[in-house]
Amino acid sequence: MIGFRLSAQQPPEPERVNDTVVKRFDHVYEVDPALMQEHVRQHEFPAWETKRIVDGRWDHLDWMHAHWADRVLSGEELLAESAQPDQLDDEGVRPE
Amino acid sequence: MTATMVTDPVINELVQICGTDHVFADRSARVNRARVPAPFPVHRWADLIPDVVVLPTSPEQIAEVVKLANRHRIPVVPRAGGTGLTDGAVPLRHGILVDVKLMNEILEIDLEDRAVTVQPGINMLKLNEELRPHGVIYPDDPASYPCSLVGGRIGTSGWSLIGGRYGHTRDLVISFELVLPTGELIRVGDGGGRKVRKSSSGYQLKHLFMGHQGTLGIVTEATLELVPRPETEFAAFFSYPDYETAWRSTAALARSGLATLAGVVLFDEWKLAYLRRDDEAYIPQPDSVRCVVATAMYGTTDEVRPAAKRLLRIGQESGGNYLGDEISQGDWASRHDRYATPLHGRLRDGQVVPMSWHCEDASINWTALPQVRREWHDIVAQLADRYPIFDDWGMFAYTNGAFKPWGDYLTEIDVGIWEQELDDESWAAWVDAKRDIAAVALAHGGSISACHGSCREGEVDLVPQEMGGGFEVMKKVKRALDPNNIMNPGKYLLDQAYEGGDRL
Amino acid sequence: MPSTERTDGTAQVPADGSRGDGEATAEFVEQWRNAAYNCYSSGHKFCREVCPVMQVTRNEVHTPTAFHANVVAMEKGLLSIEDVARDYVHCTQCGACELRCPNTLFTGDFYRFRTRTVQLVRAMRALAVDSGIHQPNWQRWVEETTRQKSEPVLGEVPVSQENVRNWADGLDIAVGGETILFCDCEGAFHRTSVPRAAARILQHAGVEFGLMREQWCCGGPAAEMGYVDRAREFAQHNVDDWRAVGAKRVIVFDPHDYISFTEDYPSYFGDDYDVEIVLMVDLVAELIRDGKLALTQPVERVVTYHDACRLNKRKGIHETPREVLRAIPGLTFKDVDHVTQWSYCSGAGAGLGIERPDLTAEISRRRVERAAGLGIDTLVSACVWSERPLSEQGGMRDDPVEVMDLLELVAHAAGIDDDTGRSEPAR
Repeated sequence: MIGFRLSAQQPPEPERVNDTVVKRFDHVYEVDPALMQEHVRQHEFPAWETKRIVDGRWDHLDWMHAHWADRVLSGEELLAESAQPDQLDDEGVRPE
Repeated sequence: MTATMVTDPVINELVQICGTDHVFADRSARVNRARVPAPFPVHRWADLIPDVVVLPTSPEQIAEVVKLANRHRIPVVPRAGGTGLTDGAVPLRHGILVDVKLMNEILEIDLEDRAVTVQPGINMLKLNEELRPHGVIYPDDPASYPCSLVGGRIGTSGWSLIGGRYGHTRDLVISFELVLPTGELIRVGDGGGRKVRKSSSGYQLKHLFMGHQGTLGIVTEATLELVPRPETEFAAFFSYPDYETAWRSTAALARSGLATLAGVVLFDEWKLAYLRRDDEAYIPQPDSVRCVVATAMYGTTDEVRPAAKRLLRIGQESGGNYLGDEISQGDWASRHDRYATPLHGRLRDGQVVPMSWHCEDASINWTALPQVRREWHDIVAQLADRYPIFDDWGMFAYTNGAFKPWGDYLTEIDVGIWEQELDDESWAAWVDAKRDIAAVALAHGGSISACHGSCREGEVDLVPQEMGGGFEVMKKVKRALDPNNIMNPGKYLLDQAYEGGDRL
Repeated sequence: MPSTERTDGTAQVPADGSRGDGEATAEFVEQWRNAAYNCYSSGHKFCREVCPVMQVTRNEVHTPTAFHANVVAMEKGLLSIEDVARDYVHCTQCGACELRCPNTLFTGDFYRFRTRTVQLVRAMRALAVDSGIHQPNWQRWVEETTRQKSEPVLGEVPVSQENVRNWADGLDIAVGGETILFCDCEGAFHRTSVPRAAARILQHAGVEFGLMREQWCCGGPAAEMGYVDRAREFAQHNVDDWRAVGAKRVIVFDPHDYISFTEDYPSYFGDDYDVEIVLMVDLVAELIRDGKLALTQPVERVVTYHDACRLNKRKGIHETPREVLRAIPGLTFKDVDHVTQWSYCSGAGAGLGIERPDLTAEISRRRVERAAGLGIDTLVSACVWSERPLSEQGGMRDDPVEVMDLLELVAHAAGIDDDTGRSEPAR
């Protein structure tokens, strides 16, 4: 279904992550709703809204990287390269 | 002390100077130009409202407004982005508020001599969007990068997240034009020459007219450094089991001598606990992650790639555990616009309340960081024990030197304040705490502020102590340049310059 | 460009001479207090430079920051609705500010509490209306809409209920059915080439659909201008009409309608609101993907895409329009990414063009200038409301930029537009 249906926007019930954090969607953490009972009440949050914000955040961070530099180096790749025993490093010598 | 009454004839004169559409005396225009983010005494908002607002469109208009203010002895307060974390843009004595946001043009892009000339109301991110097709960038990168404006960066002498590589605002502004407190329009640089970076001719006036928080004039135009847009960025975040190891690792990384290293940031245990409240990068981290050190490099790929390998090695050999690409890259990208959000705030029972972010900063040498950290957290703990509207949000230490990221650190303690509950008593306690925080910085050989300015209530009391004989010079300069005390009066204890008649 | 129209200290006084209703203001402040402090207490102002109005006026009273701070100031008795009502005209409800706000972008999903500037602007406009403060052009607009059941757009077709289906002349579209094509007012009476393209695409791809028995304005503009009761009347009529013909889904091509039907209507009708709302561009992308719509006619144009604010910023929909554009043969597509476009707008939204046509024109002029800088000949939009001000500005240039709707382009590429071989939209 590509259309919007109100009934499909109800988020799933939260599962607990730790004492103060819960989760309804993969990789998306939320505050334990019990902590927002007295002073600030949570908004109605349809599922599309959570998705929009999470996607927007990652899009924004990608944009910020591209704003500052043409490419981003991966530390994980560099560490893997450095761990190759037979490989010469960038100074042309074998790592100890 | 100057009068504050702005009368209809004055408004008529302002209209003559700036035009009908650029002079505002209505309540909304004035009330909305009273405050800056923090700390602002919201319960005293009504006392801090300007009498009239102008949005000039030329240096000449600003000069005429300042001359008018001198004639009528009316305070003038310059305002750019209004994002500063001290109160430079807050009109303590009402008067005429000069808002420079309409002056946001790029006047010249000089790719040969590598300089861009702009008006003071332009934002750095917006400027860099225009510079991108030319392969250059203006790398002044505060946490307010997407919203602070060039004029305010000069007025506060800002600090840049990547200053270790590219320098801070004072290093990146080559020269600028300003209206003096008596209305003359002059240009200042290292010496003369609009695009000259180094001069030994005359006094070094550029530094004098930066960071004065609007007490010595209004910037009307600035010529800025252009650097090659980086080919490659590299960010690495390391975790540590304790502060001592993280602190020593910070020094090892900062002293690496790698020229592309743009900054090193140390997060203490309080900061980690705070980030675990709501930050997706830190929530899943194991308990063994107690402190973090963040590093970033920029430059050509040929430089950054081997340097990044060495940086990783230094981080690991000094006790750090590389936290992975997702947190390193994601968290670093968010640091260009990293302001705290109010819902970080918690009461003692864990309930979420909207708290304002108050960041107390100082310049502290590396050797003093552990002791300053202990004393600052104690001050905030005592404050929060008495008034639960305060919340300790932890500390950062950022490399502070320009081009040479070692030696001293922009050290900040972030404090949440539940403004809805703020009153005179809790505000007074807060001001006392701020003074105590500043006193610790001075006791350990530091400076009260690395980037915000030190003219707010509380810490400002210690500025004469910090400056020593230099504070007497400040007063003489102020009185010589602003004989009528019309430029942003009430800031930096400079009213003292006008006490005692001829003694100065 | 004037920043505002006022220079004196006089606030707007209600037409009946009364001051604002203190009780209504107190209730409003109570409702918005925490949201206002959530902005006030951060004061980051990351909204300022993405705001299309602020980019032109540079006047701090038009910032989303001020829109929130005013609530705090009203609580403290520093400002009244009379002082600020006119400031709130200066918003297109594009949603850039609230998405770019760290309180949304970095923590909104975590706390299930985000910055809602658009809702606040609407609420403040409604408070103004309730307090007897009317913006004259909006008042007239809503009165005319109430009278004719469609917005008084100045178009080729005189606005009235008798003419609301004229755009479909010769297309042989039935009334009723399980799927309804909803045609917004600008499309029905002004840029009729857009609904005609939409209908032809659906017919060509074999999608069965009908029209409403009696289509009224979606009510969105009235809601955006603060005329809440009027907006609900329109909404109630339309939902009743859908139910009367047994409609199960409604196709919309206008992003403003999409907002009305997926945000306003659910808030009015709650769980009873069970109709499926399908965005035309999503459907077109699916039809192309499924091989039901073949785009075979080359379109020799150099284009860029104007992200519709209500799709990109308010709904996170930016991929499908690009997917559709990339499926069109012959097209040279010079894209500007959707995050950069968070700060782009046509200036047409939320009645700005009705009260401040000068600002809408300037915002559109700047948008077209950015497009022209890419070396394109056509600016493609997926928002029919943006197309009039953008076209006006594009046409005024020495190097004119033509503005086309994405559906017009698709119909052409499918070889099914009204006048195949003529690439200009039917006007």
